[in-house]
Amino acid sequence: MSLSVSSSRTLEADVCVIGAGAGGAVVAAELAEGGARVVVLEQGPAHDPGTFTARPPEMLARLYRDGGQTTTVGTPPILLPLGRGAGGTTLVNSGTCFRTPPAVLDRWREDFGLDLDEAGLAPLFDRVERALSVAEVTPELAGANAAIARRGAERLGWSHGYLRRNARGCVGSGVCVFGCPTSAKQHTGITYLPRAAAAGARVVTGADVRHIDVRGGRARAVHAHLEGGGRLEVRAPTVVVCAGTIHTPLLLARNGLGGASGQLGRNLALHPATAAFGRMDEVVDMARGVPQSFYVDEFAAQGIMFEGVAGPPGYAAMSLPLVGEPHRAAMADYRRLAQFGLMVSDASRGRVRSLAGRPVIQYGLVEADVAKFRLGLARLEELFLAAGAREVLLPLPPGVRPEHARARDLKLMAFHPLGTARAAARATDGVVDGDLAVHGVEGVCVADGSVVPSALGVNPQLTIMALATRLAFRLLERRTDFRPPTAPPPEEETACRS
Amino acid sequence: MSAGLDAFVAAGPGPLPVVLRTLLAVARRPRGRALLDRAPRIQAAVHAALSLGRYDDPAVSRALGWDADAIVARGRALRRAEGRP
Repeated sequence: MSLSVSSSRTLEADVCVIGAGAGGAVVAAELAEGGARVVVLEQGPAHDPGTFTARPPEMLARLYRDGGQTTTVGTPPILLPLGRGAGGTTLVNSGTCFRTPPAVLDRWREDFGLDLDEAGLAPLFDRVERALSVAEVTPELAGANAAIARRGAERLGWSHGYLRRNARGCVGSGVCVFGCPTSAKQHTGITYLPRAAAAGARVVTGADVRHIDVRGGRARAVHAHLEGGGRLEVRAPTVVVCAGTIHTPLLLARNGLGGASGQLGRNLALHPATAAFGRMDEVVDMARGVPQSFYVDEFAAQGIMFEGVAGPPGYAAMSLPLVGEPHRAAMADYRRLAQFGLMVSDASRGRVRSLAGRPVIQYGLVEADVAKFRLGLARLEELFLAAGAREVLLPLPPGVRPEHARARDLKLMAFHPLGTARAAARATDGVVDGDLAVHGVEGVCVADGSVVPSALGVNPQLTIMALATRLAFRLLERRTDFRPPTAPPPEEETACRS
Repeated sequence: MSAGLDAFVAAGPGPLPVVLRTLLAVARRPRGRALLDRAPRIQAAVHAALSLGRYDDPAVSRALGWDADAIVARGRALRRAEGRP
């Protein structure tokens, strides 16, 4: 699928797409199938699933940017793992699929003047979900870890359900975030990107974009350095930047684009998250089944969502909030450990800047979000105890109870960076307009998490893909020589195998 | 250090690999461990990396009911049988 470019050369295209993740692969496929000549430049490699080992340290090193060790600067520091390569973070996420909550769309209309509503987006979500074989996880496939959370939620009378995921023929290998060894997870690297290539798009991996050439107020070309040592110029009147929420603002800033509003690189939301363990009497074998298969949304209105999380012993050992002998004892009991996660829809906002060419991610947790963690951890403990846990291991320092936790006590990770090139109708409020075109320049658009104007409270991949689909359609509508996007994507078998 | 943990450490950003290697070496000595006890957040990070490596050992993880090789073999068989990517 990847075009091999071994020496310096120039390509001509209608659209150059930078990045092949949740936004880039989707926009490339829809444009190419609509008749546009597309070149995709992806910085990372195209990973061969035949080489996946299901072993966390090795796969973290290979599939993640910076080995999954990207960390924010602030209180507390937050680990922010990002995927790298064809598929981007969809290659290493848990596959959870939510549509944008209608209340969030209402807020975007009010605060940012965006013409987005549930009915208008529904056909786009339908299209994306068909392409990704999105279906609800079955209880059998979800495994014992999910069954424990379900038991707790039922006993407490809390709202809950099985998650919808982009998986096809899943057998519950338990290592979604370390590279699916069965290729069941329908990430964009094995769904949209091959469709783009089949429709004639040229996909270049190992292409590090250095410069977006804008002259006379409009895009002309993109220049990249190739992994093999050559240079590539893509001459295209339209450039779609899809480098992700952390790197898109840096690329735009380096090229003097999108900075007029003062919002570029700002407004970073992360959905900070943490997880607790329960020590159960029953055998759980948490990595048997779909790690993220169940949710509890009882406290969603308060910005708190519980979602499943689990993994093999190496992963669990790394996450356990214990050291020394207590850690050894808990790991000796690994088969009876259950784990569940807590994600916060954050009011905190961070900023991405460049220091010596590398991103520096500043993000401090505001008191309102610390309060959500206090409440969330107390409720998570309640959930485990209701499910029959004989001990709950909370991610807090020894002796600190949830109600007394301070920001610096929290052990957090985040998986959903959003907002650093946010969309807003007015040029003073955002980096891109409602059609995702960069304000003040012709032919440069953005389609990744950076345009999402606020925290969603749910996993964002479908929102990013629906917005990317919408952008592709808008671009196609403007060109009379492109085919209209009437054909639905290929019908896929939905449903996970249980 | 196992090859997997070595690759993980090496993949870290900027100066982190050098820092983490140094801390891992410190943590292997009793006096070093005592020193890390005074810096809980650093201790937790070092402990997490060491644990990641230790429990990635196939003999250790198999004893805990997890066999990565079997998971990979099943994946390979499914991909071959069903023509998956």
